[in-house]
Amino acid sequence: MNAPRRVVSFVAWSTALLLGFSIAAYAWNVSWTPFNRINLISDLVHADSIQSATVETTSVPDSATQAANLPARRFERYRTAAQIINFQTDSNRYALPHFLERLHTLRQTKKGKIRIAYFGDSMIEGDLMTQTLRELLQKNFGGTGVGYVPITSIVAGFRQTVRSEYSRGWSDRSFKQNPGNAPLYLSGHAFSSQSDWARYTDRTRGDSSLLIQKYLLCGPDSNASIQFQQQERLITANGSFNRILLSTDAGRTLSLSATSNTPTLYGVSFESPDGIILDNFSFRGITGIELAKLSANWLQAIQQQQPYDLIVFQYGVNLLFRPMDKDFRWYGKAMQPVIERFKQTFPNADVLVVSTADRAFRYSGGWASAVGIDSLVAVQAKAAFQSDVAFYNQFATMGGTNSIVDWANRNPAWAGKDYVHPNARGAAWLGESLYKAILREYRLYTASINRAKPKPANTP
Amino acid sequence: MTIFDIQAFGEQFLYDPKNPLLFNNGFFVFFFAAFIVLYYWLRNRLTARRYVFCFFSLYFFYKASGSFVGLVILSAIVDYLLSNAIYRQQNPFRKKGLLLLSVVFNLGLLFYFKYTDFFIELSNTLFQTGFQPLNLLLPVGISFYTFENLSYTVDVYRGQLEPARKFSDYLLFLSFFPKLVMGPIVRAHDFVPQINRPWALQESDFAQGFYLIFSGLFKKLIISDYLTLNFVDYVFDDPARYTGLENLLAVYGYAIVIYCDFSGYSDVALGIGRWLGFTLPVNFLSPYQSGNITEFWRRWHISLSSWLRDYLYIPLGGNRGRSLASILFPALFFGTLFWSAYSLFGLSLLTAFLITLALLSLFLLPAILQRNKQTAFTGMNLFTTMLLGGFWHGASFNFLIWGALHGFGLAIHKLWMMGPGGWVQSRNGSSTVYRIIMLLVTFHFVCFGWVFFKAGSLEIAGSMLHQITSDFSLSVWPAFFGNYKTVVGLMALAFLLHAIPDDWMSKRIHLFARMPLIVYLLVFFGFALLYGVFKAAEPVMPIYLQF
Repeated sequence: MNAPRRVVSFVAWSTALLLGFSIAAYAWNVSWTPFNRINLISDLVHADSIQSATVETTSVPDSATQAANLPARRFERYRTAAQIINFQTDSNRYALPHFLERLHTLRQTKKGKIRIAYFGDSMIEGDLMTQTLRELLQKNFGGTGVGYVPITSIVAGFRQTVRSEYSRGWSDRSFKQNPGNAPLYLSGHAFSSQSDWARYTDRTRGDSSLLIQKYLLCGPDSNASIQFQQQERLITANGSFNRILLSTDAGRTLSLSATSNTPTLYGVSFESPDGIILDNFSFRGITGIELAKLSANWLQAIQQQQPYDLIVFQYGVNLLFRPMDKDFRWYGKAMQPVIERFKQTFPNADVLVVSTADRAFRYSGGWASAVGIDSLVAVQAKAAFQSDVAFYNQFATMGGTNSIVDWANRNPAWAGKDYVHPNARGAAWLGESLYKAILREYRLYTASINRAKPKPANTP
Repeated sequence: MTIFDIQAFGEQFLYDPKNPLLFNNGFFVFFFAAFIVLYYWLRNRLTARRYVFCFFSLYFFYKASGSFVGLVILSAIVDYLLSNAIYRQQNPFRKKGLLLLSVVFNLGLLFYFKYTDFFIELSNTLFQTGFQPLNLLLPVGISFYTFENLSYTVDVYRGQLEPARKFSDYLLFLSFFPKLVMGPIVRAHDFVPQINRPWALQESDFAQGFYLIFSGLFKKLIISDYLTLNFVDYVFDDPARYTGLENLLAVYGYAIVIYCDFSGYSDVALGIGRWLGFTLPVNFLSPYQSGNITEFWRRWHISLSSWLRDYLYIPLGGNRGRSLASILFPALFFGTLFWSAYSLFGLSLLTAFLITLALLSLFLLPAILQRNKQTAFTGMNLFTTMLLGGFWHGASFNFLIWGALHGFGLAIHKLWMMGPGGWVQSRNGSSTVYRIIMLLVTFHFVCFGWVFFKAGSLEIAGSMLHQITSDFSLSVWPAFFGNYKTVVGLMALAFLLHAIPDDWMSKRIHLFARMPLIVYLLVFFGFALLYGVFKAAEPVMPIYLQF
């Protein structure tokens, strides 16, 4: 047989058959996904059914809000991008009143410590986002120091704001593994050892001449001790949660070793005597409902030693692990009690719920935002609304639908190719955006007290 | 209700930046069928066949890269005119001048599109010049056809080649669509004589072409694309989020990805060429079967390494001479190495000096041992070739480092063979244990290089190596395997396929030559559906291990 003819007949037959099957699939409405992906005419024909499916998806968040039977006018404010929403109808009414008042006092007196607890998942791991927020707040309102540092961390090598070195023997109980159910710290971890060592260096940028207080955070033990900077030190740890001041000086390094009398350790903290202290509590893979494992009594013990002024919860991306999920009402029901508990046990703190960021899946048309993301944001906003705490729409701030796809494809990229995690560049922008949103509220606050007091105040 | 979209039909024929033409587009099936029918119809009218071939190739180029097709035509015109002028020119100075003009034109074009931004950023960093980057798009295939142009005019200059008489011959040599995007780099003296030959094929040519095309597509579209999207890209994007084991497996995974992607594309090009009656140079010979790094470069991207040998290494002086450039680039490299060790990494002057000296001695030692100055220059020529060859792959320091690593690898292999290696080989050279050890060492060295090749920046490469060396634990394997079963399976399959000797199939191809067409059609549909299954598969999402 003539071989060129064989090439021609093979190409002609295979093309004709494939084209024939492709047309037949549309003609007889046969749909089988693997074949749809190689259908030769799929770009040329449109099925009507696709349009109706799109309508259905966009209507999901509306139905979620209607089901909740909420006063739409106030609740609908959650869709606003780049603003901290307190759901008030009066848009001049600022959110986070207690926190802003403390900020204002700090700016005028330069005295006092403002504590922020920033809870989150892998999105804030390695101090991403929070390092920017902390740096900007400290620059504007004062303060220095990185705040909370865990004893060991899976992202120790990745985190830029603190250098952590430690021996390998530390035992780490956590949300994922906690035999005996002894209390875990806000970070979701608790550490113990009788002989291991650790060394931390605060690498935040700030005035290096300022004094830094170095605290040890630990559990109870009647005659506890620890090696601090190579010297054994007896410590008084009577409460169920203890903050022990190890030193106050301009040094930025802290080294410690466990002894046979070392109690459960939760971490260390680097903080200036006055100013903004922001603690990053990141825990990979969680949704926030794990925080329900921290009992009210235990939280109260922490709050007595370490009263927070602002508590931020930023979760959500780990709920979006299946591409087609759209119903997250169960999450709202589980998360709301957590918010309520923190609100009650930290009565002087404002609470801010930060929505999920965008995340994408590979659907038939390529990478696109998770189909359930709008309804998840609505559920998170509803939890905030019903607990009467503030809300920040991170998803809308990023740019809404498909923004993570845009971020990942930018050059240089702003997000990872998993289409989930903003990288350092994207996270810095997110941190700055949240900072600007807080600053906006602060301006509303100072404007309102200036209206109340005719005497000109020292405003920024 | 189904509606035929006439506008979408029209748009299919235009360039779509979001969906450039590749072998796996549905459009390519129609393109190729139309081409084959015309090619067959015109098989005895060589001039018309050549014009049709040129048209289809340029159209393919247009569908793959839009208006950049103009660059191919422009460079074909310039080099066609220059090569003929060089050929006719008797005055050696003018001849050299014309060659220089061609080199400047071709490298200038490549340099402008590929390297301008790199040097703008370098200048901005070093001298705070504040130039705006141009953010140019890289024209598809420019690295390949620039080299083809250069080899052509140099061959004409050297008197090794008579220039193509017809412009369309030259244009087709340059734009021949199967090799357009990723090579192989073809030489004119191999290719041009095949253009005007009648279309004659053996039965086994059809089978061989079929085998090359579909095994190439399998490597590229199924193995490489799946591993890239569902595993390798995640880890290389942000290595610090993954454990040492995941990082190491991602490096192995990338070793497969780059081989399958590159050699798969080459195989498709070779296969299509074979069907059309063209023999293109073999580009890959199971490179990971190499027992040393010198052998690796004889099996990896052969059309590039032989090009570099003929048009860079030998003009530099090869193993018999020297030139200014054989000192210039190594001097620049070692100078930069010393400076960055001292001022970027904060090492002491002495340490920085010792490191530089140690690496430099890789090239000086053989000369001292052999008491032959030329050996040192040969080493430098080889190092320069690897350095510039690395830079050809992309405008970043990572590729320079990758090239330099391979330069060091070659030097170390040479030293090894002069000393202990030569001794071992003379006694136990054929022992299986020795071969396996050398194979593993070579493979891991190549993988080490891939870290720099693939990583987006030096920080990422560093973070990856840090994770592998300091955060390594086998305890995460069950969780890893549970999440990445298909990934692990495909990686195992790829290594298994790679272990098959290269001539295994060509020895058996005659067995398939007489198969009825229906068998081939069934294989084709089987492959197409498999591709559909993989394309429709739910993406594997990364699990962040470490709990």
